[in-house]
Amino acid sequence: MSTLGTTERPVAGGRFRFGDSLAGYGFLAPWLVGFFLLTLGPAIASFYLSLTDYSGLGAANWVGAENYVRIATDDPRFWTAMNVTFTFVLLSVPLKLVFALAVAVALNRGLSGLSFFRAIFYLPSLVGGSVAVAVLWRQVFAGDGLLNQALNTLFGFEGPSWISNPSTSLYTLVLLAVWQFGSSMIIFLAGLRQIPQDMYEAASIDGASKARQFFKITLPLLTPVIFFNAVILTIDAFKAFTSAFVISDGTGGPIDSTLFYTLYLYQEAFTNFRFGYASALAWVLVLIIAFFTAMSFLTARFWVHYDD
Amino acid sequence: MTDAALSTTTIAARTDAGEPSVSPWKRALLYALLLAVSFLMLYPLLWMVASSFKPDSEIFTSTGLVPTDLTVDAYRRGWNGLSIGFGWMFFNSLVISLLVVVGNLFSCSMAAYAFTRLHFKGRGFWFTLMLGTLMMPQHAVLIPQYVMFLKLGWVNSILPLVVPKFLAIDAFFIFLMVQFFRGIPRELDEAAIMDGCGPLRIFLKVILPLSTPVLATAAVFSFIWTWDDFFAPLIYLNDIEKYTAQLGLRTFVDSTGTSDWGSLFAMSTLTVLPIFILFILFQRLLIEGIATTGMKR
Repeated sequence: MSTLGTTERPVAGGRFRFGDSLAGYGFLAPWLVGFFLLTLGPAIASFYLSLTDYSGLGAANWVGAENYVRIATDDPRFWTAMNVTFTFVLLSVPLKLVFALAVAVALNRGLSGLSFFRAIFYLPSLVGGSVAVAVLWRQVFAGDGLLNQALNTLFGFEGPSWISNPSTSLYTLVLLAVWQFGSSMIIFLAGLRQIPQDMYEAASIDGASKARQFFKITLPLLTPVIFFNAVILTIDAFKAFTSAFVISDGTGGPIDSTLFYTLYLYQEAFTNFRFGYASALAWVLVLIIAFFTAMSFLTARFWVHYDD
Repeated sequence: MTDAALSTTTIAARTDAGEPSVSPWKRALLYALLLAVSFLMLYPLLWMVASSFKPDSEIFTSTGLVPTDLTVDAYRRGWNGLSIGFGWMFFNSLVISLLVVVGNLFSCSMAAYAFTRLHFKGRGFWFTLMLGTLMMPQHAVLIPQYVMFLKLGWVNSILPLVVPKFLAIDAFFIFLMVQFFRGIPRELDEAAIMDGCGPLRIFLKVILPLSTPVLATAAVFSFIWTWDDFFAPLIYLNDIEKYTAQLGLRTFVDSTGTSDWGSLFAMSTLTVLPIFILFILFQRLLIEGIATTGMKR
């Protein structure tokens, strides 16, 4: 079995031929073009733009780190956006995880009708990002919306307008995010099914209670899945856009209480045409996401249980 | 990511197992709880659909699901509520979504085939880069991409929404297909080689025909996400006659404000209807797709 000087491992029974290399790059061509033209090139360009005052028209004048300095020291709306976004992430991600895990564990008890419930709980994840659901949310949490009607009918309680009140508007968006716990739940369900049943049987024989089994078997063995879900949900939460945009008419209001980072970025880029400044904002977001992801991976070894 | 790449077969296989010896009472309680939670979760959606058939006066007075007086008035008002009919915008959405499906299937299956079946120098390197792009937020490339499409004269056309998909920009689908292609026995390739097939014939005659499940999953997800997408059309489409249904709906919200919830709900219902239908037809594929790769919504 010859390897003809390549570093790749040959597959059993196969061998390398020059034609394969040609074919390889042939099949990879669309992706390679896309990678250079739509990913790598633009990524470099956006870093360059972040050091300029580019507006989309005319020349991009070099301003050095000025955009970044302004972000850090002289842009109150940036800090508002950070505050809103971090509140959103830190509330929605853990709540989503807890709900997803709780429902997955409840569904994993050999109930018949599992696929029915799984489908129902998944549905909000599928439609939750749409404009239609954002429209619906606007009505449900309006002053005379569904929620307040229900509260009034059931308890005689006159609720405020949750959407137009700056102290509650963000929480309606958190609720909208948590409502979409279904896709994480599906991943948890798949994870739960990987846990060998005999572990529970052995634990039962040893007299371990259900709660103890959950904390000593289910939870530790599920940590890789929890970790995975947490990383994905965090990245997604930082990128949330549509619901805030539609619910606040693109403003991030009332009084910037739903000014998600991506919404602020959108306004700077496509309403104010500050492409240079928006590029700097984009890179700050990328760095924040990269930081969170790196931190999760670094701390993973202290709490994520891997089989070896 | 490796640990979450869970096998799909286990999902289907174990519907009857689970933890043994749950007492009947507990079981009934669990059912009741699950039913209550699912009902509560679905209620807003059901209410939206029901309200779209109610006379306008009833939307703010009735929390129930049954209209006293069934009417499609709201649909009639909404359908022609903008200067361009919603029908046209649904057509735009449909064209874009279908082109994206074709683009993703074409380009991502080619890349996945190269990554799993062909041997060439640098394969591992490109594969790692591809996985890296999965993690990268689109915001990093958004503005230069926009500027590039602007210079090409593509802004205010569907090209920026469609052409990148023919260049395998959705690495998620490459990943999904790589996972699947890896499961196709290599003996089949080798038999085809014996018969004198080249890489292209193997791709077309062996790999693709065996990959209908993953191609279908990718197609359905592509369609739904493109149909639902708001951000890209918002940036790239300016003229109302080029709008997608999502953009149309949001413009409709702006123009009616909160004065005509009936027709807003009617049009909202219509924009999610295709997703509901695909969900009902393909829920198994969707759920398995989520469970295998664990990515995205």
